Amino acid sequence: MTYMAIPNIGNYTIALATAVESLGIKAWASTATTPEALKLGIEAAPESVCLPLKAHLGHFIEADRAGVEYAFMINSVGTCRLRYYRHMIDQILKDLGLKIKIFGLGFDGFKPPIVRHFDPGPITFIKPLFHTVLKIKVIDELEMAAWRTRPIEITHGDTTRVMNKLLVKLSESKTMAETRSLRRRVAGSFADIPVDKEKKPLRVGLVGEISFLRDKCLNKNIEYILGSQGIELKNFFLLGEELENITRIIFLNRSRGKSLSRIADRYLQNSVGGHALDSVANSIHCADAGYDGMIHLCPSGCMPEVSIRPILKRVSKDKDIPILEMSYDEHTCGVGIATRLEAFADVLMERRKSGSAAGRRENARRG
Amino acid sequence: MFFYYIYPGLWETFFSELGMEPVVSGPSTIRTVEKASQISETEHCLPNKLFDAHLAELVGKTDMVFVPRVLSTIKNHLSCPKFGPLPDAARADIARETEVLSVEIDESRRPLSESLMLLGKQLKCQKSQIRSAVNSSLKAMESAKNQPVRSLKKKGGPRFLLIGHPYVIHDNFIAGPILQKLEKMGGEVELISFAEETPAKSYILWSTANLIYHTMKTISREDYAGVIQITVFNCGCDSMMIDTYRSLMKEKKIPFMYLMVDEHLAQSGMDTRVEAFVDSLGWRS
Repeated sequence: MTYMAIPNIGNYTIALATAVESLGIKAWASTATTPEALKLGIEAAPESVCLPLKAHLGHFIEADRAGVEYAFMINSVGTCRLRYYRHMIDQILKDLGLKIKIFGLGFDGFKPPIVRHFDPGPITFIKPLFHTVLKIKVIDELEMAAWRTRPIEITHGDTTRVMNKLLVKLSESKTMAETRSLRRRVAGSFADIPVDKEKKPLRVGLVGEISFLRDKCLNKNIEYILGSQGIELKNFFLLGEELENITRIIFLNRSRGKSLSRIADRYLQNSVGGHALDSVANSIHCADAGYDGMIHLCPSGCMPEVSIRPILKRVSKDKDIPILEMSYDEHTCGVGIATRLEAFADVLMERRKSGSAAGRRENARRG
Repeated sequence: MFFYYIYPGLWETFFSELGMEPVVSGPSTIRTVEKASQISETEHCLPNKLFDAHLAELVGKTDMVFVPRVLSTIKNHLSCPKFGPLPDAARADIARETEVLSVEIDESRRPLSESLMLLGKQLKCQKSQIRSAVNSSLKAMESAKNQPVRSLKKKGGPRFLLIGHPYVIHDNFIAGPILQKLEKMGGEVELISFAEETPAKSYILWSTANLIYHTMKTISREDYAGVIQITVFNCGCDSMMIDTYRSLMKEKKIPFMYLMVDEHLAQSGMDTRVEAFVDSLGWRS
């Protein structure tokens, strides 16, 4: 059996696996970078490159050691280092003498080389693609339900258990009908979790670099930590939304970027690259929507995200919303992150009690 | 500060033609670095921190500070993404009290002269006045570019090529100690030129990185005894490129060394490394 390694983008890897299987091969992936893979990547990559590259690289080296022949990764056309990942990873793997072959996927033609290479029939290929998109949407819904339920659950860990059960079912689902019936059950399963309806959780938005927003290993499971502290989250990277955005760019030439730059105009008049504009615009959006705080995640030295920090600081002052800057490197440990998040949650709680502007807005909103 | 060296002479001429008095921040010194580490964002790269300190030096002394948004200096190339939010970051933080003048310089979209016209319009000057200012400033830049940046001392010592971003190799604090040491040891130092306007296309889209790559492809072993790259801590572009440069130099059998500079640069540390590099060249022959 031929295997293909796919990059880790959190739970969405499950959906991508379906797409890979449409090519008649098996997927080799996990929903989070393993610590071993990260170690391999750190050893092989130049020391000052950014952490997501090391995670990607380590994942592919680990795959090669497991006998995987192919891998794919997403090409970027942006302005930051992500654009050169493919070239650099190719080069390093060649220098290490590894055999794994990498396909780029993304903005290089209607029929990318990956499809040409495996050449599946059109029907066997197109149908699973629709299935993949459907699965991505289901995962979006699962994530959103989990953010809402986790902070108010009565028995600690219920949400995670339900979530994992559904994710396993989703990854086992082979047909679209099966996935659809699963989708209908999502809301019910989460509604069955006993919750404390009286509780009004703090609301916090997560913005920043995408692999850190999604990969549980890289961000030290930040969603879980925050959720268990009784904080309702909104993570601003949902692959389903991102896909819709890309489709809009391709077919309607109308990107979400425009509405974002309208929101951010007073503070930032350039898209910078990566998700920097999104971070600024979403912070402003959250401040106006009465969120209690924001957390900005990025790898240490990330070019676009770090360069907008002074702007985020200003937003934070002007809009009276606390923004926590989290930057991760190889030596970041989960306990340190948890401590900082706990302290942040305490600060937010105190602010709400003392009736900060955000707190007042919140009370007005909830009546 | 970032673009001052890419466009030599341009800005002074332009602004004085329009009846203003340009004030240029002084060369970076250890004081600049101290100031930078106090006021700047901790995770910025060193030039970005220095930029903040230079900006702070000008704020209060002037009526307006000029921070261009340099998106690309060569057609179909990009600048470092960190340049994108610079004027916005300046407005948000350090130059909050002052008016920040800015213009988008994007060679892929419009030539430099048009960007300058737009800048003049922002200043509410007469069209004819702007046009003459544009012409004379472009001329001033041409003549400044044609002069060799640093006069070469013909001593017959080993010749070195110094590569790096223009705002790195021309910076007094970052490159100064290394240049002095090399010259003290009797070496001839040539700074890489950024005058080339159409470097060969490659997979690299960053303009400075591609220019360096292009230059390194054209040089040969006879030209230089060694190539030294000066890079700065937390530079994203260089972190991706160093390996490419190194393997290219290995292929050509030209000795290569890179020196990474951060806020804690000490002359003695750099001295040791430069001496070791020059010594090792002696053993080769």
